[in-house]
Amino acid sequence: MKSANRELVDRLAAEYVLGTLRYRARRRFERWLLSPQVGAIVKAWEDRLAGLEPQLTPVTPSAAVWRGIENKLELRKMQRRPAMRWLGVAASLIFFVAVGVFITRPPAQPPMTAQSSLQTDPQTIYWRVEVLGDNQELNLRVQTVHDLPAGKSHELWALPEGGAPVSLGVLPHTGDHHRVLNAAQRAALANSKQIAVSLEVEGGSPTGAPTEVLFAAPLSRA
Amino acid sequence: MNRTDTLPPDIELARLLQQCAAADTVAFRTLYDKTSPILFARLLRMLRRRSVAEEVLQDVFVRIWQRAAQFEAHRGRALAWMVTIARYCAIDLMRRERMTLVSDDAIAEVADEASGEPGGLEKPNNFDHCIGKLNDNTRQCLTLAFVEGRSHDEIARLTTNPLGSVKSWIRRGLLALKDCLSSEGQTT
Repeated sequence: MKSANRELVDRLAAEYVLGTLRYRARRRFERWLLSPQVGAIVKAWEDRLAGLEPQLTPVTPSAAVWRGIENKLELRKMQRRPAMRWLGVAASLIFFVAVGVFITRPPAQPPMTAQSSLQTDPQTIYWRVEVLGDNQELNLRVQTVHDLPAGKSHELWALPEGGAPVSLGVLPHTGDHHRVLNAAQRAALANSKQIAVSLEVEGGSPTGAPTEVLFAAPLSRA
Repeated sequence: MNRTDTLPPDIELARLLQQCAAADTVAFRTLYDKTSPILFARLLRMLRRRSVAEEVLQDVFVRIWQRAAQFEAHRGRALAWMVTIARYCAIDLMRRERMTLVSDDAIAEVADEASGEPGGLEKPNNFDHCIGKLNDNTRQCLTLAFVEGRSHDEIARLTTNPLGSVKSWIRRGLLALKDCLSSEGQTT
């Protein structure tokens, strides 16, 4: 990042965290958050300004709040839904095996151990996904911009065998991105032979499960 | 109050978040029971009205459930991560609706009698020293923005200062805070 850009991003990040950006500026800035560099600058400001958090006496909300959350996330339905049904849907989709392309990268990152090309036909690869190290990190490289209706996001999923899909986060639409996975994501990815892309409301699935699966692709282990 | 009296340690909250990431609805309910009173108090501090804060609290937990897989236990503290989500949800609503929450009647609905003194979350090294170096106007502007979610315009109105001064104090205050924390942090 150029130093002038870095200064601008730093200033916007500070006011984003403080909360003084106007609504549209906030939304615009959030698009930049997909960049790990911008994410790190925001995180640094969150840590700095955490010192301003006030001490407050806890207040118990009414029982209606939990009921509302249960309804919005359809938690009761989720408890009854067998995970295998969704995997059956995913398995019926057409996949294309990608030819592994090894790309050299700085030594700071673990070596690539698996990769996948997310595509719906042999000519058009939308995202190239590289798994680094022991399923610890991902590189996401946008190859072709996939159509995205307004107010929607694309989300990436690990499809662990015998388990429910686990979100690997919302997919970016420009550039190359690096993402560190948490323990649950690593475990899910380690047991996955495929990954999938779903269409979600902006920001990701409201239920914790994929809403509309667009396509899936195999993971080629190196 | 001391939050550690009633809240489980961050490591337990982090574990619950990881279980949420694996779609464990029982863990999610436990997480809600343990943290919703803190997050609700925080939302009330910004949104003032109980009915509005309860609606936003629902969105906060929907987001926590959706984003649980993105919580990186090694990078941040679980409670701070959740409080940040709550703050951002409240700010999003306030900015979108251009909510003006300055009436005294609304303030009467605020349920907290706590001091509102800083110290709810772990502070960076030397935070008190660095915030103390800012002038009173700047400190007041930063606090009104961060703690109560006030916009530039509202702060100008509340403090009866020109909007330009408020913007400039905030911008310079943030820079000064950053510089102080980074330089003082190296000496400790």
